[in-house]
Amino acid sequence: MAASAADIRSALSLPENNAHAGPSQLKKPVQATTRKPEGISRELYSLIGPSAPSIAAQLAKPRLKQKPNFGVGGVKTKWELRTFKNSARNDGLQLQHWVQASEDPSAEYSFSKYNVPNNNYTYSQDEYTRYLDDQEWTKEETDYLFSVAQDYDLRWYIIHDRYEFPNGPQRTLEDLKDRYYSVCRKLVRNRPWPGDETSKTLLLASFQFDKDREMTRKRYLESLESRTPEQIAEEEALYIEVRRLEQNERKFKRDRENLLRTLAGMDSGLPDVMEDDIVSSGVLIGGESVYKSKKKKGTVEDSPATPSTATIPSIKKPNAPKNVVFDAQNCIIRTEAPPTAIATKAAHQPAFLRSFKIPAPKAALAPKINQALAELGISATRLVMPTRDNFAQLESLLDVTTHLVETKRLVDKADYDISVLKKRMEIREGSQVDGGGDGEDGMDIDGSQAGVDAEGETEEGDDGRAVSVMSGRSGRAGGRKHGRRSMSISSVDTTSTRAGIKRQKRS
Amino acid sequence: MVNYGGDEVSAIVVDVGTSSLRAGYAGDDTPKSVIPTSFGFHKAQQTDPDVSMGDVQENGTTVVKSKYSSIYVGSSGPSLWREGMEIGNPIVEGLIQDYEPVKPLVDHAITKVMRANPAEHPILVTEPSWNTPANRERMAEIMFEEFNVPAFYIANTGVLNAFVAGKGSALVIDIGQAMASVTPVVDGFILRKGLSYSPLPKLIHAHARHVLLNPTQHRRGVELIPHQLIASKLPVDPGQPPNYTLRQDRLTGTTESWRKWAEEREVEEWVQSVAGVVDQGWNDQMVAQRPPRQYEFPTGYSAYFGMERFQVGEQLFNHGAALQASNPNLPKTIPALMTEALRACDPELRQVLVSNVVLTGGGSMFAGFAERLQNELVRSFPHTRIHAPGTPIERRYGAWLGGSILASLGTFHQLWISREEYQEHGKNIIGQRCK
Repeated sequence: MAASAADIRSALSLPENNAHAGPSQLKKPVQATTRKPEGISRELYSLIGPSAPSIAAQLAKPRLKQKPNFGVGGVKTKWELRTFKNSARNDGLQLQHWVQASEDPSAEYSFSKYNVPNNNYTYSQDEYTRYLDDQEWTKEETDYLFSVAQDYDLRWYIIHDRYEFPNGPQRTLEDLKDRYYSVCRKLVRNRPWPGDETSKTLLLASFQFDKDREMTRKRYLESLESRTPEQIAEEEALYIEVRRLEQNERKFKRDRENLLRTLAGMDSGLPDVMEDDIVSSGVLIGGESVYKSKKKKGTVEDSPATPSTATIPSIKKPNAPKNVVFDAQNCIIRTEAPPTAIATKAAHQPAFLRSFKIPAPKAALAPKINQALAELGISATRLVMPTRDNFAQLESLLDVTTHLVETKRLVDKADYDISVLKKRMEIREGSQVDGGGDGEDGMDIDGSQAGVDAEGETEEGDDGRAVSVMSGRSGRAGGRKHGRRSMSISSVDTTSTRAGIKRQKRS
Repeated sequence: MVNYGGDEVSAIVVDVGTSSLRAGYAGDDTPKSVIPTSFGFHKAQQTDPDVSMGDVQENGTTVVKSKYSSIYVGSSGPSLWREGMEIGNPIVEGLIQDYEPVKPLVDHAITKVMRANPAEHPILVTEPSWNTPANRERMAEIMFEEFNVPAFYIANTGVLNAFVAGKGSALVIDIGQAMASVTPVVDGFILRKGLSYSPLPKLIHAHARHVLLNPTQHRRGVELIPHQLIASKLPVDPGQPPNYTLRQDRLTGTTESWRKWAEEREVEEWVQSVAGVVDQGWNDQMVAQRPPRQYEFPTGYSAYFGMERFQVGEQLFNHGAALQASNPNLPKTIPALMTEALRACDPELRQVLVSNVVLTGGGSMFAGFAERLQNELVRSFPHTRIHAPGTPIERRYGAWLGGSILASLGTFHQLWISREEYQEHGKNIIGQRCK
């Protein structure tokens, strides 16, 4: 069943544009103008009209085999011998050819359009004397050059081959080109230009000719060609050597990468470039120097292909000066990882809340500091408003407190030492028996004694603050720990890594 | 129709070579008529302008002081024995030196063989690269004034051979019957400064003749007697003395020039069927291993030729040291010609030319020639590519084919020199139009 246009119209509730119009009447005007292309169903064509998409042409019914149509059904192609005139010719030569009789006899000869004359520059005597004078060239020879150039459509090899100016000097191909193009350039420059500037510069650029460069290029070519077989063999050998070195270098680099990955946990999938960063940061100075010297020896020409270490910082840098204004306007503060950061997975810093990063006091002094802060009514572990400024203040407060605690400890120690020495003096004064010989043992004993005595000393703390509670033993143990801890803290301070936090939490 | 840019105006292409004259319609792939350029003639006696029978007769009224009382051209011209008939060839070193027989030759090819009227067809004629302006003007004169052609053009064989290979720029190596030439063609123009040629094929011919005439330890010297002079012969085994009888009736009437021509033909045929080139340079052991070939002469004598057949071809690449010592003015070999041609070209062009080498001409059909040339060239130019058509037609009639292609192109028809233009501008227009 085939749906007619009227059916579709009614289905889509489109208004009938003609009361008694059937599909046959609708079709009529369409057919009068254009024929229905093959491959579109009649109904579809009556809907979309002659504005059929061009794809429709490909919808033609596929046939199994293209059969030649030799004038079946009386449609014979009639050919006739006709004389024709070629408009590309200046004379009236009439040649004869066979054409289909249906072709228009008055039509232009179809091949005459390929006769494209290329525009040639001419100059007047006046122009020549004003712009084009050259002591190397006479006007006659320039004229001759231009006529030859036109004859051979600027095919320079041919022009050079046929160029024979009587009594003229021997000209090389470059001489001829140089003269021709320089004359053209001068003419374009000095004549009034009807078009815009860009087209003029374009045209001038097309007339550009650098004679010296061409000569050098030709010389190179010639020297390349005049190599002896030995030289060619040597070059070949050198090339192979270079390739071998390159390969070695690549292998070396790959091995080194693997090694680095194993050692520094670089299984992070970070781009290779970062590894070069490590190299530049001085981790592998020795390896780098070897790498560089090899490079200099072998692959000078290939150097742009391999990423050099120098280029990496330059990628990051341009950010800074450019965004300063923008950052200031939008209150953006960029925390830039210091360049010496080791790019490991552990060192990678994800986004974080600042409240996670409340500066912690030194673990050894933490109880004392916390106590001191508690006295001031400040909690060191929680901030109501963890802003940057507050953080800075808290940090400075912690610093100051730490300093205070440390100073106090030193003072206490000094006091204690004094009291010990005083006691010793008393003992010495009391009984002159003991000699000053047993230095270190005595010191040790003194230390342990001091540890014991320290308990008692706390009671007689000067200012009565709990901060002053300090045992010599814990102090010493803290001192030992401090050595280890300070390293991690300093690393936290500079890089503020998550690892640092973890370690802090663990302790 | 327009797809390949062709528009046939039934032009006739005439290609005159040393050995044969080719003529045919443009657009065809083989010439319709191929006739020998050599012609037979009887000398004109000043006292007795006797006009004898012949295929084509020089009209005594048009040529007043003819050297020839009668001229015999075509396939039954020189090869047909006639009493007292001399043989001539208008071409010396590739150039037409004697224009008198040119008209009967062309006329025979066009009107007798092709059965066409030259006055109805534009004619394209070929010329060797070293043709002189006077020569081409003379050719135009013959065409316009004696054949009344409507239009005429003269094209260079080097360029046409490049066109046959489908190339605009090429280094054309053309080895004909008399001359070997190397022509650099760039953008459809020859580079005159790079053109180099030598009568090398003549030397090869002379060498082959020398080889045949002189006896070796394996065989006797060959008597070069053409079949026209042999009455009867009996089959003999290879290497055995021939058993034949001469036609005594003809011996007295045979002229020296006809005898020479006939002997040359025998040598030529021997070279064509037997001679070859070793593809990897000369090497006695290698050559000795190559199979010998049997050849039977018109006398019935037959022999196997082993090393000799390669010695002949070797002359194209290498003259032996002994030969060089005895004759300092030997024609240049093919590699020497190529070196000379390339040296004269711009260094930029050399690579282009060397990667587009076109090998053509009947003289290039030595077995193994293309391979040898390739091997020789690759040594100095690694990217060498040689275009050597495998079909003999394309090699032998390369220039004619190129002319056939050119004259059937729609865009070419603006280049014809019409009769009108010729009458208006005179001979100068040929130099201007046919660059």
